[in-house]
Amino acid sequence: MNFLARKVLLINLSDSTSDVKSFTDLNEYLGGFALGLKLYEMYQDKDPVILSVGPLSGLFPFVSKTSIVMENNGAIEDIYLGGSFSSRLASSGVDSIILLGRSKSPTLLEIFNDKTSFLTENIYETNSLGLPGKRSVLSVINRLDLLDNYFVTKDNLLGKKLASKNVTGIVLTGSLAFDIPDLEGYSALYAEVLKRAGELEVTMGSSPSCSGCPLGCGSSKVGEMGGNILAHCLVSCEYAKKIYSDVNIVFSCLNVLGYDYKHEDLEKVPGLVDTLLNNI
Amino acid sequence: MTKVLKMKFPKECNGCELCVMEVQRQMGKGGLDGSLIRVLRDEKGLSIDLDPRVNDLEIEKVIKICPKAGFVIEEKEYEGELLS
Repeated sequence: MNFLARKVLLINLSDSTSDVKSFTDLNEYLGGFALGLKLYEMYQDKDPVILSVGPLSGLFPFVSKTSIVMENNGAIEDIYLGGSFSSRLASSGVDSIILLGRSKSPTLLEIFNDKTSFLTENIYETNSLGLPGKRSVLSVINRLDLLDNYFVTKDNLLGKKLASKNVTGIVLTGSLAFDIPDLEGYSALYAEVLKRAGELEVTMGSSPSCSGCPLGCGSSKVGEMGGNILAHCLVSCEYAKKIYSDVNIVFSCLNVLGYDYKHEDLEKVPGLVDTLLNNI
Repeated sequence: MTKVLKMKFPKECNGCELCVMEVQRQMGKGGLDGSLIRVLRDEKGLSIDLDPRVNDLEIEKVIKICPKAGFVIEEKEYEGELLS
């Protein structure tokens, strides 16, 4: 494999500091769930909450979720949240955000690409933060999470966890752009994948959509838990697993973006996840 | 006559941002920087902000990709065209 390192934004809530780290040895974890699980293993002594996207996030249809890996009542949860957060995270140039420790006082996090501000006044006032059209607002009020004023995690697990860390919300702005090496091939493949909307397990509705999905299905309001490993490492919608559990289409999507993964690299990801789960 | 992209049915917008990505693809990039279409979210809901420079792109493709058929093309006469 030959491509750039995974970029991780480490946010230490305990002392209100942040740091950006590049990991050259995590590419085999692809992204999303596997990457989050590996980072959990590395930072598990600091009760991490890890929000991750994958290499196709913000770039292909139905790759619209954010992976969240965290501890809950002694178990590791993998949660998938819809809405606009994944496209903003993808556009920030950061693969994963890790929240470590606990804030001493209620804190609203404003993240602008890989820079973090820790706000301790007006901790529920998000309207004036971030860049319009490039921001995503996750609120935590009364232990309830709410993204884009609509999307939530199952049983509000994220909201409860962030509340326990004294975090009242996250305003994330992703304002970068990226060159596409094979634009013609990318555009053709994008159109081909979008045409497969009929293969999703949900149908067109009138609810708010996740970024990158045209369906507005209603089922995505509450985030998913568990499911297909490859799809969750790409952080595609679980309802699109027929498309994104297909190694051949995933390989084509990665290849057209310039990633040098081989089929075997993709096929071994579930095994890596099993190993991590056994280790933790 | 100049063709101008308009969001005619903003209440229909579901926030999928396929239009945003279509425009970015036409401009040869991924990500959100410099996007000529912005989907704005606040407590009142969604609204669409169109940069006039979007009309220099293939706006028919933007219309086609919107799942809610929210966009239309209007033809406008500008002062310069009237004088010529």
